Amino acid sequence: MTKDYQMQNKLFIYLSSSILLLILLAIGALFMGVYDFGEKSPITVLGEVISGSPNVSLSEKYVIWDVRMARIVMAILIGSILAVSGTTMQGMFKNPLATPDLIGITAGATLMAAITIVLGSFFRHLLPEFLQYSLLSIAAFIGALLTTFAVYRMSTSQGKTNVVIMLLSGVAITALGFACVGFLIYLSKDEQLRDLTFWNLGSLGGATWTKNGILFVVMLLSYSILIHKGKALNAMMLGEKDAEHLGINVEKIKKQIVVLTALMIGAAVAFAGNIGFIGLIVPYILRLIFKSNYQIILPMSAVIGSILLLLADTFSRTIVAPSEIPIGVITAFLGAPVFIAILIRFKNSM
Amino acid sequence: MLKGNQISYSHKKYSILNKIDVSVGFGEFLAIVGPNGAGKSTLLSVLANEISSKQKQSVLFKDKLFRDWNLKDLAQHKAKFSQHNSNDIPLLVHDVVMMGRYPYFSSTPQTADLEAAENSMEETDILHLKSREYNSLSGGEKQRVHLARALAQLKNEVTNKLLFLDEPLNNLDIKHQHRALKTLKEFTQKQNTAIVVLHDLNLAAQFADKILLMKNGEVSAHGKPEEVFNEKTISDAYNFPCAICANPVTQNPMIIFGN
Repeated sequence: MTKDYQMQNKLFIYLSSSILLLILLAIGALFMGVYDFGEKSPITVLGEVISGSPNVSLSEKYVIWDVRMARIVMAILIGSILAVSGTTMQGMFKNPLATPDLIGITAGATLMAAITIVLGSFFRHLLPEFLQYSLLSIAAFIGALLTTFAVYRMSTSQGKTNVVIMLLSGVAITALGFACVGFLIYLSKDEQLRDLTFWNLGSLGGATWTKNGILFVVMLLSYSILIHKGKALNAMMLGEKDAEHLGINVEKIKKQIVVLTALMIGAAVAFAGNIGFIGLIVPYILRLIFKSNYQIILPMSAVIGSILLLLADTFSRTIVAPSEIPIGVITAFLGAPVFIAILIRFKNSM
Repeated sequence: MLKGNQISYSHKKYSILNKIDVSVGFGEFLAIVGPNGAGKSTLLSVLANEISSKQKQSVLFKDKLFRDWNLKDLAQHKAKFSQHNSNDIPLLVHDVVMMGRYPYFSSTPQTADLEAAENSMEETDILHLKSREYNSLSGGEKQRVHLARALAQLKNEVTNKLLFLDEPLNNLDIKHQHRALKTLKEFTQKQNTAIVVLHDLNLAAQFADKILLMKNGEVSAHGKPEEVFNEKTISDAYNFPCAICANPVTQNPMIIFGN
């Protein structure tokens, strides 16, 4: 009888301990970097920046606040967003391979972002910074939304997803995206070229507080609707008709998932480019521990995603310092084996 | 309780249901029987609001159209057990049964929910499986898990509840077939209604209050078991000879096919 209370308590314990771990890692990441603060520790400097103390030099303030903190916060936000959108997509498609990058949603977002960069260069300088970034994320959002919709329509009929069609439409859309971005690279000027390459590889190097603000708003909006859909996603494992008999408005939830995932992926792609596999790795690990209980894995993926991306990013910028490895390389190294593991595990049921 | 008026349904060009009138009362155990392809499951789906018939306003539940019901409310008044249940649900048995309580709690199951789940697992004899993985169960055991889920969904204070079951006895052994039907009988004796698609006519005769015999998308007989089960009606519907006598134990009609 007490088992369920224990389960809820467990969720609370797991959530709070992983949040604690995330905070510790964030503090650790603050120490990582080339700039030498001399005798002061980065924590002291951060404290001084926050309290507005006069003994911080401008460069110290810049490094700690505008470079390291901004980047750490962005890793936390984007990691969380990518993991949660992976988990909800998998719930909607009822398949552990349905992640935004594998089914082409990220490519759709990248494509629209690339078009905006190249075409937008004509009027971009007329807009204030906030609007420029918003424009980019809106374009990426539209790209993501259109692809999600297209992939869903192509691969799903009567609530059943054809996995092969789903993955292959992802391949097709990704190929199309690559071709278009390649063409745009050919057309574009130097400055745009740097932007475009950055998109394809993914990087958190462009972190600013304006971007973090937009990401935070997107996250807050999406999570307020999605994060307690665990019950609904569980019920959808029964089949959509049976979920409806349990009082769940399946059509409405699917629409919410499609729109909000596109919003999250759009924002993430616009600011950090194409960082793959987070939405695949995180739910996979959580499923190993908690089975497919979305009531647990959905909120947990929000935190574990942050932890994973923060670790990957810190690693990417310290291993070959002062240069850095593109973060997409690291996540792909982690993600590809997981992809293969899922394929082996499900080879009989696909 | 539930009224269906002139229900017609066709899939592509094929007419599956043809102008069916059906009315089910409070506390009634209705068994829908008939040969393959008679439209039993389709009728059940229309009645349960899974698919809508051509005339959208043809089914009234408690004198109200389904679309006028609040979804959560409706889930506390009616439940359905489906014929084809998912084979792949990577959860524990207990978690699957608890889904039946989703209309009642927001994130943490309350004591009433835990009790309801426990009781219905008891009723379908799966209490000993509650910590097993659903995917590791046999077909019959999975079937009982979903039965328990549907029963758990209707454990509440609402009067006159409605339970739809599409061939609930598939894959069940004799003991569990009887146990399931007995549970349903007890459910209907409390002024609740059960509409059940059954294949076994003798079990239908033994447990159901009313029988709806279907053939080719139409109702060929509707009434008490002793009215519907006569040699001519049954032989005609199934296109197979049969003999009927009184069951020596229960005195219900007993159908013996072939001669």
